[in-house]
Formats: sequence, C-alpha cells, structure tokens
Amino acid sequence: MFLVFMIIWSSALLGGLMTVWALAWAIQRGEFRHFRDGATVIFDEEEPIGMQTDFFPGEGPRQAHQLSQAWKGAQL
Amino acid sequence: MSSAAHAANNPAPLDRVSRIEIDLSARPPVMTFWVSSFVWLIVGTILAIITSIKLHAPAFLASPEWLTFGRTRAAHLDTVVYGFAGMSAVGTLIWLQARLCQVKVPFPRLLTAGALVWNLGMVIGITGLLLGYTTGVELAEFPIICAPFFALPYVLVAVACFRMYATKRGDHTYVSQWYLLAVVIWFPILYLSVLACTVFGAVGGVAQAIANWWFGHNVIGLFVTPTGIAAAYYLIPKVTGKPVHSYHLSLLGFWTLAIFYNWAGTHHLTGGPIPAWAITVGIVGSMMMFVPVVTVAINHHMTMKGSFHMLKTSPTLRFTVFGSMMYTISSFQGSLESLRSHQEITHFTHYTIGHAHLGLYGFYAMILFATMYYVFPRLTGNEWSSAGLIKIHFWTAALGTILYGAALCWSGWWQGVMMKDPRCPSCRSSITPNPI
Repeated sequence: MFLVFMIIWSSALLGGLMTVWALAWAIQRGEFRHFRDGATVIFDEEEPIGMQTDFFPGEGPRQAHQLSQAWKGAQL
Repeated sequence: MSSAAHAANNPAPLDRVSRIEIDLSARPPVMTFWVSSFVWLIVGTILAIITSIKLHAPAFLASPEWLTFGRTRAAHLDTVVYGFAGMSAVGTLIWLQARLCQVKVPFPRLLTAGALVWNLGMVIGITGLLLGYTTGVELAEFPIICAPFFALPYVLVAVACFRMYATKRGDHTYVSQWYLLAVVIWFPILYLSVLACTVFGAVGGVAQAIANWWFGHNVIGLFVTPTGIAAAYYLIPKVTGKPVHSYHLSLLGFWTLAIFYNWAGTHHLTGGPIPAWAITVGIVGSMMMFVPVVTVAINHHMTMKGSFHMLKTSPTLRFTVFGSMMYTISSFQGSLESLRSHQEITHFTHYTIGHAHLGLYGFYAMILFATMYYVFPRLTGNEWSSAGLIKIHFWTAALGTILYGAALCWSGWWQGVMMKDPRCPSCRSSITPNPI
C-alpha cells in the first residue's frame, strides 16, 4: 500500500513539476515571442501561404497521377 | 515578419520527395493504427446498438449472460474509447508529429508491431468484459491483464514522439505540438493513477468514485480532445493557406486547457455523497474551461473568415469545421452542465449521454475523418476514388450526429423535469424518451 501511495503522490508531484518546468522552458526558449513567425512554420515553398492544399478528388489541381509520379520517384 | 526570423523557423523548406519520405516512413504504423480504429468503431457501434435496444426492449438478447446490458455497455464504452478514439489518436499523433518536426518516423516496424499488440489487448479486454471480468471503474473497465498490452505500445509511441521532437528541424514548437507532447505525458499519469486508486485499492469508498470520475472526464479531455484540437490547428491553416488568426490565443488556449481541465472531473458526482468543496472545485474548473474553448472557437472561426467558400471544394475542411463547431457547442454544454442548478434536471438522464456523444462523435470523430481524408492520399499516393461518397459520408455523419445529440438532449431534459415532479410516476420519465 505504501508503494501505491508513493506512486500516486510522486506521479502527481511529477506531473505538476513537469508542467511548471515545461512552461519555464518554453519561455526561456522564446516560444512566446515572434508569434506571427510561429504561426507560419507549417508553410514552406511548396505549400506556401495562400495555397489551398486539399480538394475533392478530381476537382482540384492535385491529381492522382501527380501524387503517384512523386511517389514512384520517392520509392525508387 | 523579418526574413531572418522566418529563416530560423523554416531553415530548409522540404522538397517534394522529402515530404513524401516522411509520409512513407509514417505509413505502416499510421495505417495500422487507423485501420484498426475503424474496425473497433464498427465493433463498438454494434455493441452500442445492442445496448441501446436493450433500454427499450430489455428482453432483447437477454438469455446469453455475456450479452446482458451491464457487459455490453462497458464493452461499448471501452471499445470506442481505447479501440476507436485511442488508436486513431495515436495514428494522428505519429503522422502529425513527423510532419511538424519534419523528420522521418523512427522505428516504424516496431510501432506497427505495437499497434498489433494494442489490438491484442483490445480483443482480450472485450472478451473479458463480455465474460464478466471487469475492474468496475467506468471508462477503465477492461480487466487489469490488458494494461501491459496498452502500456507497451504507448511507451514506444512516447519514445518515438519525443525522439522526433528532439531531432526536429527548426526551432519553434507549433501549437499542435504542445497538445501532442502533452497527450503523451498526460495519459499514462491518468491511467496509472486511477488503477492505483481503484484496482490496487490505494483509497476506498467514495474516494474511489472521485478517482474514477477524475479519470473518466480527463481520459476524454486530456487524451482524445487535445489530439483533435492539434489536428484542427494544423488542418484549417494548412488547407486554407492562412496562418492561425491569433497565435497568442492558440497558446493561451493550450496552457489554460492544461491548467483547468484536470480539475473538472468531480462535477460528474454533483449531488453525490462526496465533500461539497470537491464538487465546487470541479464546477469552478468546468467554468474556467470557457477560456480555452472560446480561444479555440475564436481562432478557428477567424482563420476561416473569408475562406468559407472552400468548404465546397475541400472534404478535409468540411469535416474539420463541422468538428470544430461541435467542439464549441459540446464544450459550452459541458461547462453549463456542471452547474448544480443544471444538474438538478439533467443528472441521471439521457441529456448526459447526448452530450458525451456530441463530443466524441460530433467533434472528435469528425476531426479524425478530416485528418484521414487529408492524410490517406499522402500515405498511399492515390486520390480518394469518389467525391460523391465523401459527400454522402459527411452529410450522413453530420445529420446523424445532430439528430442523435439533439434528440437525446431534448428528451433527457424533459426526462429530468419529470423526475423532479413528485406528481409524475417514475415510470413515465423512462418511457417518455422512447418515442423520440
């Protein structure tokens, strides 16, 4: 039983400390600065800002054969 | 945005092959987790239908003891939460983390084997429940023997997730990554704690009920929900080609969810024999949840503003936006539901069931479908075969969820009103929802 209690309290303590540490670590790393830059990291030259990247099949520029060609190139 | 700052965050834009190489590395584990999740969705739904019919016709399949209500309901819950939601969340986590870190998925074969082990745990768990073996802890009913079958794959996924993060390209941690990293940490703490408190008997009596509902509420809100929000924060900007409206709000939303959600679980025990302060803490936590919910709602809506016409052309966006709207609705509903005055009517009624399903099916499942519509062509190299079938899928899922949720909430409310009326025979309150 002592072991079980230790697991509970140590995990609660660990969880709390990890949250505080993660917040402090994020602040130190500058995660909360340059917000506009952070929002753009999912874009790149191939899929830039302003480009729609998903369409119903056959209704957009991303056709099946284009995907397949790129795949063949990657798998070779 | 300065060019130097942009360069720091996007050090080397991926070429097409690199992006596909990342998807190729993710394909075996992600496909295995996702396809498995679909199988469990079907199994869980069949169990749900059997359980639901028993509410109206108790004699239905009453003879075999392994199909009695108490067993099929528990099997339905755990199949949907750990089989469907859990496995699909892990699949999403692996793909999204690889894409955001811009690195290949490490040890994909091991992760794929992990998915098979998870499936084995599901089979043992469901069989055990139907045979009558259960922990008796709602939403963690699977027999304790199943725990290693989930723990092993989860450790592998956690190691892979942190390894990708440690080797990621670029300095910035995108908002979706905060949610994903948190999920990896939160779930083991939740599961180990509830097992320690209940199955291993660290606490007794009503304290076990508190531990149960602390876990039951958080397993949805700190495991399934963050994965859905993470996917939405990636998909909406990515599909529309517009950065998140307010990155400030997105991070505020994550940290307030991390701080407040954990406290909300005890609102499930309002009116129960537990200390009033414990319930009040749960209510305060629930009301504070308006902060992260509103931030997500504002961000998703404002990011979509000016791009709603894309709903006609993008299946991913259609599912994501519907799922996000249902997240806002079901979260508002959930916070209000925690209030004592509200629970005087809705507790022990179908209203709660309606709310739970609006969250899991209306929000999470729709976001998951959106993710799959976006990712499957990128994993397989092939487009979806039929736009028409996707549209049928969307409309049947959306209308079905609305009909289901609205009917249960409406009838549950009136069920609660009748239960409060001393002149109303108790049987009427259980019969009334039937016609609806």
